[in-house]
Amino acid sequence: MRLPALLLGPALLVNLAIFIAPMANLAALSFHEARPSGGVGPGPTLATWASIAEDEYYIELVTGSIGVALGVTVLTLLAGYPLALFIHRAAPRWRNLLMVACISPLLVSAVVRTYGWMVILGDTGLVAAVLRFLGMAKPPRMVFNLTGVVIALVEILMPTMILCLLAGFGRLNASLEEAAASLGAPRWRVFMRVVLPLSLPGVLLGCLLAFVLTVSSFITPKLLGGGRVILLATEIYDQAIVTLNWPVAAALSVLSLAVFGLALLLYGRLLRMVEA
Amino acid sequence: MAGTALVLEGLTKRYGALAPAVDALSLTVQPGEFIGLLGPSGCGKTTTLRMIGGLIEASGGRVLVDGRDVTALPPHRRDMGIVFQNYALFPHMDVAGNVAFGLEMRGMKRGEIAAKVQAALDLVRLGHLAKRRPKELSGGQQQRVALARALVIEPSVLLLDEPLSNLDAKLREEMRAEIQDIQRRLGITTIFVTHDQAEALAMCDRIAVMAQGRIAQLGTPHDIYEHPASEFVADFVGRSNRIAGHAADGRITIGDLAIDAPAPVAPGPVTVMIRPHRIAFTAGGAGWNEVRGSVRRVTYVGDVLACEIAAGGAAFLVEQPTRPGAPPPETGTEVRIAWRVADTLVFPRESA
Ligand SMILES: Nc1ncnc2c1ncn2[C@@H]1O[C@H](COP(=O)(O)OP(=O)(O)OP(=O)(O)O)[C@@H](O)[C@H]1O
Ligand SMILES: [Mg+2]
Repeated sequence: MRLPALLLGPALLVNLAIFIAPMANLAALSFHEARPSGGVGPGPTLATWASIAEDEYYIELVTGSIGVALGVTVLTLLAGYPLALFIHRAAPRWRNLLMVACISPLLVSAVVRTYGWMVILGDTGLVAAVLRFLGMAKPPRMVFNLTGVVIALVEILMPTMILCLLAGFGRLNASLEEAAASLGAPRWRVFMRVVLPLSLPGVLLGCLLAFVLTVSSFITPKLLGGGRVILLATEIYDQAIVTLNWPVAAALSVLSLAVFGLALLLYGRLLRMVEA
Repeated sequence: MAGTALVLEGLTKRYGALAPAVDALSLTVQPGEFIGLLGPSGCGKTTTLRMIGGLIEASGGRVLVDGRDVTALPPHRRDMGIVFQNYALFPHMDVAGNVAFGLEMRGMKRGEIAAKVQAALDLVRLGHLAKRRPKELSGGQQQRVALARALVIEPSVLLLDEPLSNLDAKLREEMRAEIQDIQRRLGITTIFVTHDQAEALAMCDRIAVMAQGRIAQLGTPHDIYEHPASEFVADFVGRSNRIAGHAADGRITIGDLAIDAPAPVAPGPVTVMIRPHRIAFTAGGAGWNEVRGSVRRVTYVGDVLACEIAAGGAAFLVEQPTRPGAPPPETGTEVRIAWRVADTLVFPRESA
């Protein structure tokens, strides 16, 4: 073996010990059955998987989680794209400043930001007050339901999305847009035919991360959902900590891993298409 | 194509409080003419071109195409083909897609587009590479795609911003001829930006030499080279001896030498400029200026012999083609050199 390969060794070992092994352990756990007492029965058995496959609740949980994640992803993209484009086009001396401004929310943990949103979106919060001031007698409820969770997740994921978009805007440059304009393209066609296609690598990367982070998000749906918004991660927590059904929690973990795997696969496919 | 007249009237671009990048520039381009914008880096060539194309807003002045004021039109409604210095080919489209883009924007039918794209690619001799991506092409091929893309829309005006500057010397010569050929054949009014004087002299019908945002001189290559209007133009276009002198009583003195000027000169300090290859090792006669000096340095480069001659406290660079049987002069020997009075360029000293 050559030196570079050898140098990978330590990292590989650590990974094996603290990542791969627990995962394998988790996967194995899903082939056991929970005892009513909260313990884990002897395996291997497909009973846990069978119960999940037959229970409509879990099927809805998975499809619902994917649906919410897709929605949050699209909204984050729509909110982040114009900002990223603006930063990309800004004069160099403004660019760094704007970048820092955009990324600075990452310095505050998601927990704090979620609590912040609870205050802002709450029944007596800023948003409700403004809506009341504008004449709305009964502003809609925005906490302890999906609305609040989606709003907060979009905001929390935006810096990540913007970073990904900027990273993927490499092939975009002003002279291409000028060339398109000089060839007779009005602004919207310049966008559709040049800007958008060239920014797709960034869009894909941002969407992948936003999707995966939403599916695995726990704190925000837990706190802002008020127990009414149940996604994969919160359900895994409930099964593992509250119900003490470890095999189901393990099986759901494997399922969410499978969802990530699919997302990654799709990402790879699409990326090859847009970069070809 | 009949060709389109292009008129620039007092075109100005200011960036902040600095001296204007382009300063009240006026230029009338005849239909089908090939005009060069020539000047040193930063003199405002690109800025001028971008204002003509509508890529930046003019701070003042007008752009007229066939008498129509287009100053306020956005670039996509100006009908001008632009070839950018960095080509700006769309990396996500193949060569045919790049060339087809402008036609698609004009809403042309597919069949018609395909035929026109093929014809345009054949024109630049790239018909066989239609399916390649820009990154799979050499610099010269990319440049020709950019040219085809700008030409296929049959624009009223073609704007070229240093399109040859990224090419190696050999390819540059080829492309020069090719661009010139295509331009003549299509009769398309063209503005060609360059800072390479040889390129401008070789290709253009007329050249506008620019300095600090203004046109220093407008004329045919012959005019510009033989009758430069200022010391700046004489120095920028071609090479020149540049010698300080003093005009008095209708003659010009350089140290202890006295020479004639082709036209009366106002008395005072002057700069005398003579092209090195117009000076010969001969005795003068009527209509010639002759001086004696000593050979200070000899550089023999096979086809050209370059000698530095010290005379009158100044140094004269002389360049002559080498001839069989004529050995180069020895350093330190006394020689006579002469040039025609008509080749003596005299300008009042600029910072006098
Ligand atoms: N966006 C800008 N902001 C401020 N000044 C600018 C800007 N663009 C150009 N300039 C200035 O305008 C002047 C002319 O620039 P321009 O690009 O037209 O020069 P050029 O003749 O094309 O030079 P080159 O041969 O180097 O391309 C320069 O002094 C430049 O610094
Ligand atoms: Mg330039």
